[in-house]
Amino acid sequence: MQLSHRKKLEIIVEAPVLRRVEAFLAEAGVRGWTVLPSLAGAGDSGEWRSGDFTPGQEKRLIFALVTAEVADRVLARLADFFADYPGVVAVSDVEVMRGEKF
Amino acid sequence: MVDSLELALTNLLTPAILFFLLGFGAGWFKSDLTVPEGAAKTLALVLMLSIGFKGGVEAARAGLSPEFLKAAGVGLTLSFGIPVIAFGVLKMISRLDRTTAAATAAHYGSVSIVTFVAGTEFLRVGGVPFGGYMVAVVALMETPAILSALILAGGGAAGRQGLRRELFREVALNGSVVLLIGAFLVGLLSGDAGMAKMEVFVGPVFQGVLVLFLLDMGLVAARRLSAARSLTLPLVAFAILMPLASSALSLGLSLALGLSPGNAAVLAILAASASYIAVPAAMRIALPDADPGVYLTLSLAVTFPFNLVFGIPLYTAAAAALIG
Repeated sequence: MQLSHRKKLEIIVEAPVLRRVEAFLAEAGVRGWTVLPSLAGAGDSGEWRSGDFTPGQEKRLIFALVTAEVADRVLARLADFFADYPGVVAVSDVEVMRGEKF
Repeated sequence: MVDSLELALTNLLTPAILFFLLGFGAGWFKSDLTVPEGAAKTLALVLMLSIGFKGGVEAARAGLSPEFLKAAGVGLTLSFGIPVIAFGVLKMISRLDRTTAAATAAHYGSVSIVTFVAGTEFLRVGGVPFGGYMVAVVALMETPAILSALILAGGGAAGRQGLRRELFREVALNGSVVLLIGAFLVGLLSGDAGMAKMEVFVGPVFQGVLVLFLLDMGLVAARRLSAARSLTLPLVAFAILMPLASSALSLGLSLALGLSPGNAAVLAILAASASYIAVPAAMRIALPDADPGVYLTLSLAVTFPFNLVFGIPLYTAAAAALIG
């Protein structure tokens, strides 16, 4: 099985700014991503739970596989954004099947 | 006076309030009672649809009245003005930072649709007539408070980041408001013939839905209150006294403009209510540095229960005494 080296991006943002962050990904040349919902959590702004009338604090996890070059472009754009907004960005080295897709 | 006391007691012993208190107690003592999230969202949709539709049908019966324009004027003035007062008071009594104080002020200038629903139910049961067009006034009062708060906070992140469109979508195209106004228009267009078709759904079924929804609100409010970390005595006092001041201001304006006691009561209830759905979401976009632990807890866990249990009968009685 042929595996290729890629970067895995895991970005957690609050639901109301999700569209904006997705737009950054598209601009940076990310070819595909998946958004996952969240159930509950805690952080700087206290605890929140999906369904507890905390529409602004509910989080979305964006999962994307990209080349190192695209990852750099995404991170450069997100650095500005996260100066104002809360969120989490993690980048890791992964091996993927069908590397030509990412 | 005896009448208002009786009215207050009647309010306390309605299924809506008792189920809210049941939910609050269950949430406080960490019962595993829950209303599933999808069900709660459906209940909210039924509430918005019913209240919008009923308002539209009533507005169609009454036709366009000058009273509507006056009520809309009072509503807009309050939504713009209350945040300025709330911000001043918060800066005086607490050590909240400027951004959190402005965000909290926005919640108090904007409105809670569920408080409006509970309040208008209370008026219907008490036989106090009010205009169906008040539903449209609710929608008008959602947004201006957010603009005032942004000015008070000195801009905000949304402007810097080019997020104005997201902010607009979150506020003006907020699902509850779209359905409320949409159902109002459907009611307005279909009139009494439409009501004949919808009667069971927006009439008898409505009470059951309201009660279940308030049970869930009780659970959520209690959980929020028991998890609160940033509440101080002055802030709790603010969350109770601000609605009283806002409703008094609203009653003064209604009296000056000669509004009917029923419409004045609805406006007082709206002025006293604080948002906990549309504004919190907008604040996460516009003022992400503001602390939701303060504004959401005050609005959802203190002001909402206070208005539901004590405020609504109090404002109604005050409107009747002052204007009736």
